[in-house]
Amino acid sequence: MPSYETFVMGVLAILGLVSMVAAILAILERDLVKAVIFSAIQSTAYAFMYYLLMAPDIALVYIPVAIGLYPAVVLFLIKKTERYEGD
Amino acid sequence: MGRWQKVVITASMVAFVALLALALSAGGLGFTLPAGRVRDVARWYLFTTFNPDLELFSAMAPEGVTSIVWDYRGLDTLFETAVFFLAIIGSVAIMRDIKTGGGSKPKGSTGLSPIVKTVTRITVGIILAVAASIALHGHLTPGGGFQGGATAAVAPLLILVIFSRYYIERLGVSKNAMLAIRSLGLVGIAVTAFIVLAVTSLQGGVAYVFQNQPKPYAPAGMPYEVGGSLTGGTLLLFNIFEMFAVSAGFTIIFLLLAIPESEVLGVLRGGEDGH
Repeated sequence: MPSYETFVMGVLAILGLVSMVAAILAILERDLVKAVIFSAIQSTAYAFMYYLLMAPDIALVYIPVAIGLYPAVVLFLIKKTERYEGD
Repeated sequence: MGRWQKVVITASMVAFVALLALALSAGGLGFTLPAGRVRDVARWYLFTTFNPDLELFSAMAPEGVTSIVWDYRGLDTLFETAVFFLAIIGSVAIMRDIKTGGGSKPKGSTGLSPIVKTVTRITVGIILAVAASIALHGHLTPGGGFQGGATAAVAPLLILVIFSRYYIERLGVSKNAMLAIRSLGLVGIAVTAFIVLAVTSLQGGVAYVFQNQPKPYAPAGMPYEVGGSLTGGTLLLFNIFEMFAVSAGFTIIFLLLAIPESEVLGVLRGGEDGH
């Protein structure tokens, strides 16, 4: 049975890798709306990581800003330009 | 780019980061993470954040992060607020000629479906309650003015997207009203920064700018408790004013972004005389 600390570190590692995959997909994606959703998934993983790293203050500011406000602003901007990235 | 190419790129980058993390955690850079003990600076902050036996050096608020943000390092946060203020003023200046007023009411129903609207009516109240709780308890539990303000700004955003521009203007959330709230919040922060200094100077004593609790050679200060409940002195006032300033600032940005592009371009390109 692994100790509590090992468990937390393991969850942190998994969240880190998930966030990394989401970040790469957000960069490679040509559909900008999907890219914003991948970016929000990455932010969700980061919010959990901040909480597990015992930084609840950062988590509290990160949840509304990175999962609510920032995707909303970028979606507003995509609406004003083109949805698909050209060559 | 083919699907397999994407998979190979992603897998190789993930493997690289995983190996790097493994090497780091095994002490490959000469030290292990996480560190085994708290650093001396952190130890001093933890020791003085709320310490009734050491009142002259203590911030007398149990929340270490808010104490550092608005008491130990209050000037840094003031400049941070100023940067945010300038960013918002910049966007307002770019969009200065554009009418944010909703104009005439659109025909028929606007926004998303009645189900979404009903859910939003409930959640907006919850969001505002949570935001007020985060900001007003900022000196006791994790949270503070910026966190509460950012949370509160989600409520007008939801109303803007799910109902319409016209609806939110009718609720009284207009650009000028938000600018007024934002300016009041910033004036409040400025007044709070000087309140101890001003009152003490009138009485002929000495005090620091941004003073919260009594310090050596500056015996004046804000009360850290009122009727047995902790207030954190200036921290509570800073948090309340910052919440209003931040939430109104974000709301201005959303109101400006929600203006249709055709109206914005029409004004930005100017008239025939090219101004």
